[in-house]
Amino acid sequence: MRVSSAERTMNYVVLGVFALFALIPILTILATAVSPQNGQAPGLHLANFVEAWQVGGFGRSMGNSLIVAAIVVTSAVALSVLAGYAFGTMRFAGSTVLFYVFLLGLMIPTEATVIPLFFDLRTVGLTDTYAAIALPQIAQSVAFGTFWLRAQFRSMPVSLLEAAAIDGAGPMRTLLRIVAPASVPALTTLVVLVFMWTWNEFLIALVMAPGGTLRTAPLGLANFQGQYTAELALLSAGAVIVALPMVIMFLFLQRHFIRGMLEGAVK
Amino acid sequence: MRRRTFLGSTAVAGGLGLLAACAPGSDSGSGGSDGGGSGPAAGDVETDPSAMGDVTLKVWDQEVRGAQNDAIEALIKAFQEDNPNITVERVSQSFDDLQQQTGLALSGNDVPDVLQVNNARGDMGEFVKAGQLTDLSGYAEAYGWEDRFSDSVLSKARYSADGVTFGEGSLWGLPQTGEVCGIYYSATKLETLGVEPPTSWDELFALVEAAQKAGEQPLVLGNLEQWPALHVFGPLQANFVPTDEITTLAMGNAGAEWTDDPNIQALTQLADWGSSGAFGDSPNGLAYDTAWADYTKGTGVLLIGGSWLGPDMEAVMGDDLRFMAPPAGADGKVATTGGTGLPFGIPAKAANADAAAAYIDYITSDTAMELIADNGGMPVLRTAELAPTSGVNKDIYEAFDAVSNDGVLLPYLDYATPSFADTAGAALQEVIGGQAEPAAAAETLQADYGEFTAEA
Amino acid sequence: MARQRPSAVVRSRATPYLFILPAFLVYAAFSLYPLVRAAQFSLFEWPGFGPSTFVGLQNYIDLASDPDFRAAIGNALVLILFYAALPLVIGLVLAAIFRRGQVRGMGFFRSVIFLPQVIALVVVAVAWRNIYAPNGPLNQALRAVGLDELARGWLGDPGAALPAVGFIGTWLEMGLVMLLLLAGMSRIPDDLFEAARLDGAGPVQEFFAITLPSVRGEIVVALVLTIIAALKTFDLVYLTTSGGPGNATTVPSYEVYYRAFQLREVGSASAVAIVLTLLVFAINVLVTRIGERAS
Repeated sequence: MRVSSAERTMNYVVLGVFALFALIPILTILATAVSPQNGQAPGLHLANFVEAWQVGGFGRSMGNSLIVAAIVVTSAVALSVLAGYAFGTMRFAGSTVLFYVFLLGLMIPTEATVIPLFFDLRTVGLTDTYAAIALPQIAQSVAFGTFWLRAQFRSMPVSLLEAAAIDGAGPMRTLLRIVAPASVPALTTLVVLVFMWTWNEFLIALVMAPGGTLRTAPLGLANFQGQYTAELALLSAGAVIVALPMVIMFLFLQRHFIRGMLEGAVK
Repeated sequence: MRRRTFLGSTAVAGGLGLLAACAPGSDSGSGGSDGGGSGPAAGDVETDPSAMGDVTLKVWDQEVRGAQNDAIEALIKAFQEDNPNITVERVSQSFDDLQQQTGLALSGNDVPDVLQVNNARGDMGEFVKAGQLTDLSGYAEAYGWEDRFSDSVLSKARYSADGVTFGEGSLWGLPQTGEVCGIYYSATKLETLGVEPPTSWDELFALVEAAQKAGEQPLVLGNLEQWPALHVFGPLQANFVPTDEITTLAMGNAGAEWTDDPNIQALTQLADWGSSGAFGDSPNGLAYDTAWADYTKGTGVLLIGGSWLGPDMEAVMGDDLRFMAPPAGADGKVATTGGTGLPFGIPAKAANADAAAAYIDYITSDTAMELIADNGGMPVLRTAELAPTSGVNKDIYEAFDAVSNDGVLLPYLDYATPSFADTAGAALQEVIGGQAEPAAAAETLQADYGEFTAEA
Repeated sequence: MARQRPSAVVRSRATPYLFILPAFLVYAAFSLYPLVRAAQFSLFEWPGFGPSTFVGLQNYIDLASDPDFRAAIGNALVLILFYAALPLVIGLVLAAIFRRGQVRGMGFFRSVIFLPQVIALVVVAVAWRNIYAPNGPLNQALRAVGLDELARGWLGDPGAALPAVGFIGTWLEMGLVMLLLLAGMSRIPDDLFEAARLDGAGPVQEFFAITLPSVRGEIVVALVLTIIAALKTFDLVYLTTSGGPGNATTVPSYEVYYRAFQLREVGSASAVAIVLTLLVFAINVLVTRIGERAS
């Protein structure tokens, strides 16, 4: 469609303004991260990243984050594939009601469940374990994953299943050999989204592991902020370190982020 | 039909869950029972670290500033060299983060072995009540801590086992450093302004006005966290209110009034400083650590605050940075907020209580005091003999000495009631920001204090 | 129907349930059950240790007259303006521009404006705390253009703190809203626009006559998501203001945490949690209903 050049200019101005608005905080923190610390000479201080990494213990906290994310992503995706497969390709009594029960999970706020989770898991001695941080997040992600994959599996042609049946394949083999391979894009999107949610999660990690040894990257950064408010350069470098994995992932897998967050939200 | 079966079965499952789960707390495995943690008797205490086997000791502290951090690291290194079977795993975090997370951490299962706990009723008092700390009386006897420390120092870490009485009862922690709130000043700035360091509060008020007229920001305060203003108000209050009364208010004992004239005058002075811009444009929007960093870069003439800031600021400002105790107050004596650093305690569920006590003993020993002083901190013991001969710490040690011996060290105001840190923090913020009249703020403070002392 | 096999490859009627079971167990145990427990906790007075006292609905009754809780709800409503209303307006404008004009570098603009969504809120908090600091970039910029009057410690000023936190929400959510609306708008057939243009419609008429009515569904979704995000702003509040100054920026989710783990009032915290959950449910239903009626 054609638009007048005046309008086109206006459009670029508006887009430019908002792009700048989105970027300025990010650029500010990047610029601060390489700025001199108190009392240092002006110039580009890339060593801030090294120092922040060591002082802030980000090796450890990001390691914890990776472990938690690995547990949550694999478990949540595996469980969601199974459940989504049943909801998406099988007819059974109570499927609608059960599905709505899963949908409910999309609305339950973490803030509401975290109190009993802490006290009940404490009673059974599970706080301060990877399980305590991962399980509540798996539960949330399973609700979304089931919903997401049900839609994906439903859209597959029935003939695929029928062909598999003629080959004599059982449900599990059909899932692994036919259904899952045909759904790789949807699965990738799910992996990306769950990974992002888990990496960025704050409240659950804060409450479920008060002992401090299993601090994830966001918590590590929060503590770092408490200690280095005055050393803004170092603090910003730490913040960049924590944000970087997600930003890099976003730049490479943009399509999946955008598609997941859009379709997941719309349907 | 099928649908109903499904609903029925979930209802049954849900109901079972409800039944199985008793009322909260009745089955919870947290800490002690109805309050009052316990501790071992002196005879049951193992004081020889080498007999404890291989131990990994988890230590939480908030000694994150330069000098304090150096001192603790040096101490841990020395402790581990002396006791090769003990490995110290240290988690350091800011005062705010430690305070935020201690409540949660102590109610969890994986508690640290050693933990720095604020003396206040809202912190140590509550943890004692919840049975989450170890009574150190037995260790104190075994290690002779009561000979090492004066009664007045130890009393700030004493609570009755039910957490109700503060100042006497069992011992729940040991401090390592000394603290005093006083006035930092830049020597060159005073010179430029043509004034001497104030010898009376009136001179100080005049100095503030003079600085303002000269286009300088007279006072530096970063009060985003709410508690920093208490370290300004504490010394200021002593200019108006008798020390006995302040102590009564701060310890949460009955018999004083926040709403009397002297207190309102003190609050009014704080409000005046706030409204006149003596603290700069927006002290309430400035972070504590950003404020002192700004001060070292040349913002402001005076900074009223804790002695712990000295070494870090001196690292940037050098000889220009000076420190003094506040001028004599209402009683004619020097009186200011201060005392000891946060005491180190042992959680009730600590896995290695004996090793924890050995650590606490070590970091409060005579040699430890020397190490603290060497690293630029101020030890709570042997302060006079370890005093440095130059630098801002010379001023700080002298001020601490003067206040402890010839004046009055006032307790921190947030000690008063379990909620007083929040109440006073918010009230002072509002006074400085002009959102609350001094009299109204006094009412707020009185309401909290009055309610608490009426119950007790 | 009842005799039909669950699917071409599944014979047993039990199979679907077996496939669902593992997911359901985890979900029920770590999401549904805790919600029930929260409801139960909310009927007790309990400091988090020792015995508890059954108090019935007293925690809820106390909330009604609790100034902090009322402040939290009031603040949440204000935040909704910043998290939902403002991003909706911005998102509509941006999406309409993308849909209508051929924009070179559309991918670039889209990604940049969406970027805030993928950054951990802790990092966002660090970035914005710096921006809002009394001597931070925002005040420097204001002073540079002579607006010294406006410069202030944004997060410490009772009047400015809540809008300041809310503005971070606008920054966060505008990209998501924009993309949602864009997805809806891309489903509008080109013919409609062509026809409108032949009738001489300008960009504004076109927007109200064609674009806006076509994306009602997406608007509803965007509102639901952003309103819930506004109610759940725990991380940002915890990390920028801790609810202060006073209770100027406290929100229900922060109250839950603060009451449970700082004040040790687990019952009261659970009551807030349940109210928050009901609020989220209600808003979902309400916004969806309005959306249905409008279309």
